[in-house]
Amino acid sequence: MTTFRQLLKGRFAVLGVVVLVALGSLTARLWQMQVLSGSVFAAAAQGNSTREVSLPAARGRILDVKGRPLVTNRAVMAVTAPATISQDTTMVAHLSSVISVPVTEILARLASYKAERLAPRVLKVDVPMQTAAYLSEHSADFPGVTVEESAVRVYPGGSLAAHVLGYTGEISESQLASAAPLGAKVGDIVGKSGVEASYDNVLQGEKGFRRFEVDNMGHVRSVLAEGAPRAGQDIRLTIDKDVQAVTEQALADAVAEAHRQGFTKAKGGAAVVLDVKTGAVVAMASVPTYDPSLFLGGITQAEWDALNAKSSEYPLNNRAIQAAYPPASTFKGIVAAAGLETGLLTPGTIFNCPGYWTGLGKQWGKWCWLHSGHGNLSLIGAIEQSCDGYFYNVGKRFYESPGEKLQAFARTMGLGSVLGIDLAGEVPGRVPDAAWKKAYNQNYPEYQQWLPGDTVNMSIGQGDLLVTPLQLASAYAALANGGVVVRPHVLDAVLGPDGTASVVTSTSVVSNAHLSASTVATLRTALLGVTTVGTGKGSFAGFPIPVAGKTGTAQVAGKDDYAVFACYAPASSPKYAIVVIIEQGGHGGSVAAPAARQILAKLFGKKFKRIHTTDVSR
Amino acid sequence: MRAPISRILRDRVHLGVVLSTIALVAFGAVMVWAATMTMAGHAGLVQRQFLGVGIGMIALAIMWVLDYQVLKAWTGPLMVALSLLILSPRIPGLGASVSGATSWLQIGSIRLFQPSEPAKLLFIVVMAAIIAEYGGRLEKTPDILKVIAFAAVPLVLILLQPDLGTGMVFVAIASGMLLVGGMKARWFAIFAVSGILLVVAVFGLNSVLVSALHKPDGVLIKAYQVDRLLVFVDPTRDPKGAGYNLQQSKIAIGSGGLTGAGLGMGTQSRLNFIPERHTDFIFSVIGEQLGFAGALMLLALYLALMSSALSVSASSRDLFGALVAAGLISMWGFQILENMGMTIGMMPITGIPLPFMSYGSSFMVTNLAGVGMLLSIWSRRYGTTTT
Repeated sequence: MTTFRQLLKGRFAVLGVVVLVALGSLTARLWQMQVLSGSVFAAAAQGNSTREVSLPAARGRILDVKGRPLVTNRAVMAVTAPATISQDTTMVAHLSSVISVPVTEILARLASYKAERLAPRVLKVDVPMQTAAYLSEHSADFPGVTVEESAVRVYPGGSLAAHVLGYTGEISESQLASAAPLGAKVGDIVGKSGVEASYDNVLQGEKGFRRFEVDNMGHVRSVLAEGAPRAGQDIRLTIDKDVQAVTEQALADAVAEAHRQGFTKAKGGAAVVLDVKTGAVVAMASVPTYDPSLFLGGITQAEWDALNAKSSEYPLNNRAIQAAYPPASTFKGIVAAAGLETGLLTPGTIFNCPGYWTGLGKQWGKWCWLHSGHGNLSLIGAIEQSCDGYFYNVGKRFYESPGEKLQAFARTMGLGSVLGIDLAGEVPGRVPDAAWKKAYNQNYPEYQQWLPGDTVNMSIGQGDLLVTPLQLASAYAALANGGVVVRPHVLDAVLGPDGTASVVTSTSVVSNAHLSASTVATLRTALLGVTTVGTGKGSFAGFPIPVAGKTGTAQVAGKDDYAVFACYAPASSPKYAIVVIIEQGGHGGSVAAPAARQILAKLFGKKFKRIHTTDVSR
Repeated sequence: MRAPISRILRDRVHLGVVLSTIALVAFGAVMVWAATMTMAGHAGLVQRQFLGVGIGMIALAIMWVLDYQVLKAWTGPLMVALSLLILSPRIPGLGASVSGATSWLQIGSIRLFQPSEPAKLLFIVVMAAIIAEYGGRLEKTPDILKVIAFAAVPLVLILLQPDLGTGMVFVAIASGMLLVGGMKARWFAIFAVSGILLVVAVFGLNSVLVSALHKPDGVLIKAYQVDRLLVFVDPTRDPKGAGYNLQQSKIAIGSGGLTGAGLGMGTQSRLNFIPERHTDFIFSVIGEQLGFAGALMLLALYLALMSSALSVSASSRDLFGALVAAGLISMWGFQILENMGMTIGMMPITGIPLPFMSYGSSFMVTNLAGVGMLLSIWSRRYGTTTT
């Protein structure tokens, strides 16, 4: 038998080597997978078997300056279900009739890619108690469907201060891109406008989480970990709920008054009430307005389209900061201050108004609003009577003096650039100058030259000059304030969990025109004259608080005149600055000024008397 | 005259074979228990596996006591029995087919066993008897062709079932035995090349027929078999379908790391991510729960069993015994390489279980009977016969 054994020796060796190679290669591969890249596979295994859903945090409330709620939350019963129920068509049909949501909408909500995979889809936010009870009692008929307590925004004042408060909605793709590192997820409800947007990080709070263990079918087997959400902080605004309500009423009344006077196209407008010293916004209103509760649970496309239609006059726009208007004659107060500060004017400077002004030559003649002319007027008289002829002369002087001093002064008063209010969307307005005109008309060489008429037009607040109602109010506050332009703000304080202020807004200065005491005094005398003997006399007849104001009637191409009024009060020790603008509302003295009176009456606790007066000035 | 017990033990018990077998069977029982822990019918599955071990031990004892040389004389009847076994699932009233290729022999509604398992052992015996005729000098072309022709009969029959996995095991067994039987390297090369050409031809013809006859399920080979091969080539292909098993298995094994998640632990096994985790993919469970250390222990036990088998083969008193032992080594070696290899993406996925580990009594009985044959060869290495 030795012969065959010797014969086989080499062959056994080959067989042994084959076995060793097979086992060796398995060992090597296992070493590579388990020891060298084990952590990669371990992460994949964890990804397989764990799922996380976030637990929403209660959004902080928004209070007025006295701590009264402007936006709060309400516990509601929300019907939710996992995406998988869409396969059970009979159940979905039954559910549709119970919660009165169309089947197509249920299916669309279930299929939404926006929610986290495991998170239940919200089918209806606010179901009545009896529906919730029915679903609970018949839970066997609706497997997977749950009724959960949820919170939605409540607006106790309805549309009150809607533009300041803003609305909430699902996070947009662009917001998601910038906020994703902070833990934002698709489907999150975030502030979209107003303080809901600008203080979203404070109001939002921190989401909690719940981590599940799931099997291969995605069924939850156990809860691995849970982190409680941290509620968002309340914020207190500078807005006074009562003043805000009166301001909105005054705007509505002014629109009605404009209609009464025959200006039937009047629809839009804005009003701003500022604290002269601090820049705190006491009230800010814009018409037409909207109901922020439309956005709860997702706005429908039809509702959204209606809010953005041209015929709607864009109610979502906050005209107080997002619209820029010609300030018209209200700008004369600023021109006067500029003239006094630059030495181009003195209180005693007298010009003659013949009604038709030909200071730039006969072919360039311009009318004063009073075609018969004002005759000889001092600066104070010119402001009281809102004399265009006087200010044409002032404009000519500015044109003839080098350095665009009027524009420079207007900018120091906060015009032509954003003031930096803590609300999104503020527009800068425009202070036109030679460089601007050249760039603006770059394709029309014949219009690039800054002409004397441009400065002359600007000095009566017309031409290419544009200001926001907020800028105008801020500039009038600065006139009262020795030229200090303070940054307007709507946030008073962020509140801690115990309700005490943890972060308080401090007053900050945007710019300072350093008005001399005599300039301030001259302006005060002139502006007070407006409401006592001048163009605003009718509107303030019998009003017990001295008001330093200026009427304006802006001419806008192709539209009816815009009614403008700007003021500060009390004239002796200024506390508030107010601007009211009514688009196509006619004259400032008869439409906008009564609205300011209505607001001032509320601010100083005086009886309100409805005023019907006339004004033909500009 | 009766020999003393100690001498009988020394003569008949190959310690390496016996100890590695006991260790493997115990290891397997623990792993089937751990793998089925979160499955419905856990206790029943474990019981059935123990029943398989019990029957397997009886088969082992019978094969041990039986003089293996007797089998050589029964080559003719065994060849017939082998063919019958392979064909039995096709016989009406006897066969049953479960999930495609797993064929059962059953009478009435009582399942007996999977005939492809004992067929492997019969194939080894028949091939050993035929190859042994040439005294280890299988060199002449007509001889080789004759042996190949004999081997081809059961191979073709099993491929027609179709049972690709068992067919591959048959090829591995035949290769190992032909090597020991003396076939030269160039013949292996010739067969390897023609085998590859044949496979390519079959795949090509299949795809032509699939589109011509509009049979997306496959004509010569099943669609799922083509999928498995494509997934082997590109594991990222179809991660929810054919690639899913491989992907989940690799995640399980890789996540085991050095020491594993612990017996009965591990999210991949516990939460049903590993398919067929007590049968074909039991190694994925071992890899996840016991880590590289457990896998290495298993490989060491296999090495111990197969090196012991090699020593039995080398000490066989005749070429027939040596060939049978070589056939067993080839059978186990190939199944280990293929099964573990498929779970880690080294080999394409086929339905080949892992010896002594995978759940299945037919499989366990076959492997233990194989161990019995090894011990029978060892016991008779000096020419001793049964007392």
